Amino acid sequence: MKRLGFYISIYRKIIIQDIKSKMSYRSDFIISMIGMILTDISELAAFYIMFLNFPSVCGWSYHEMLFLYGFSLVALTPLQCLFDNNWQLRHYVYEGDFIKYCFRPINVFFYYISEDFDTKGMGQFFVGMGTIIYAWYKLKLPVTFVNIAALIVALVAASLFMVAIMNIAAASCFFLTNSGYIMVTMNKFRDYAKYPVTIFPIFFRIIFTFIIPIAFIAYFPSLVILRPQEIPFLTWFSPVYGIIFFYISYKIWMFGASKYSGTGS
Amino acid sequence: MRIKSWIALTRVSIMDFMQFRLSAFVMLIGNIIYLIVIYNLWKAIYASVDNATINGMSFNDTMIYLVLASAQFTFMEAYLVWMMSRSIQSGKIVLDLLKPVPYSQYLLFGLEGGNICAFVVTFIPTFIIVEIITGGYIHIGINILFYLVAATLGMLINFAIDFFVGTICLYTQSTWGINIMKEVVVLFLSGATVPLAFFPETLRKIVMFFPFHAIYNTPLTFLTKGPELSLAESFIMVGEQAAWAIVLIILGKIFWKLSERVITVNGG
Repeated sequence: MKRLGFYISIYRKIIIQDIKSKMSYRSDFIISMIGMILTDISELAAFYIMFLNFPSVCGWSYHEMLFLYGFSLVALTPLQCLFDNNWQLRHYVYEGDFIKYCFRPINVFFYYISEDFDTKGMGQFFVGMGTIIYAWYKLKLPVTFVNIAALIVALVAASLFMVAIMNIAAASCFFLTNSGYIMVTMNKFRDYAKYPVTIFPIFFRIIFTFIIPIAFIAYFPSLVILRPQEIPFLTWFSPVYGIIFFYISYKIWMFGASKYSGTGS
Repeated sequence: MRIKSWIALTRVSIMDFMQFRLSAFVMLIGNIIYLIVIYNLWKAIYASVDNATINGMSFNDTMIYLVLASAQFTFMEAYLVWMMSRSIQSGKIVLDLLKPVPYSQYLLFGLEGGNICAFVVTFIPTFIIVEIITGGYIHIGINILFYLVAATLGMLINFAIDFFVGTICLYTQSTWGINIMKEVVVLFLSGATVPLAFFPETLRKIVMFFPFHAIYNTPLTFLTKGPELSLAESFIMVGEQAAWAIVLIILGKIFWKLSERVITVNGG
């Protein structure tokens, strides 16, 4: 417990420094924020145009699809805001700068990840929340304490999956020299998280459920709110599975870091 | 003389690409996964309507269009704005400006080799796979020739827009935001995310006034609607592209000339 308090206080200090340094480039912050929001809005526009021509997708209505999309945006915010430094990992490893993280008396993974807080990710959070609220209102879903609590638990659990996938993808640079394209390919999978997994044939359903578990980012957790009468077993299992999957990714990352031998410079 | 340096630059960029063969392979795998997702998604979407064609687009049209748009993206998008902004930030741009070739040409031919390789390694296999899946749905004839011309012109237009946006980075010193905005606007308005045929009438009319549709929509139309286009129509489409390419390249050149003076490099 004491250690946890210690880590939280360190985290706070590092993040404050990082935000201060980012705020000195204010125009960059504003332009990035607009860029982020624009990306999400173009996706929404794509949905809108699609549903102008088609009434539903595999039994999913426009507003249900919007809910899924908003859900996936919010669930991906922690990845964007807190774990963005993973994208730089391969440069640190390749150029030898990673060694500096190995000399601190704190957890390497924690120290490395905490170094960057991506402020522009907040734009994604607000668009996602707005979309969820709009879809919630249009679908006339009941606003009860249980529903809200379920939404929060589901969002937290869902956010673990993509973080874990990207942790593993980033950690591959400890074993290969260049992991950029692995990260880009894996990152693409998050675009598929916003579709109900039932549209895929059984083979891909299994892959997207167990191997690259993107079905847990929006589809399975959303069912708790959208279709409370037909919740599959996997939905209840998702928080546990999320924690296990995240733990595995953390172990792989740490194993890679322990294999790191520096560049000799 | 010029041509000699163009060829030399292209050769270097081809060799550069060969260094990263594995990444091209991963790109192709990524494309195939995208193909599977798109195939199933649109199959489900088309299953929910009674008629087989919507706004003149059948299931095959839509699937071919989107999959090839993504394949076209992998060989066309050279991430020029990233490159320019990085060399502006690091100061490497000073060295590039000292080269005996104009900066825009140095960039264009320095990227072209990679584009050609990516075309061969990712676009052609994807094209063949699509052709097999749909049972030879894409008409093969004069339209393929038109596609090649249109794709080249589309690439030039994309390059000119990138060069223009990259020049803006000289002023803003923001890179990520500018990049992402450009990417979103180009992909959306060019019809790479949703086919332009699905756009509401007024929006489509507005989009047609911009050069973006010439990057993706025009070349891909030659593949999906190949046999329905008359020769005159085809020439008009390609002519429009060529006009856009010339206008945008000239605009980019002027803008660059005006902006060259503001380059500031901290230290060295």
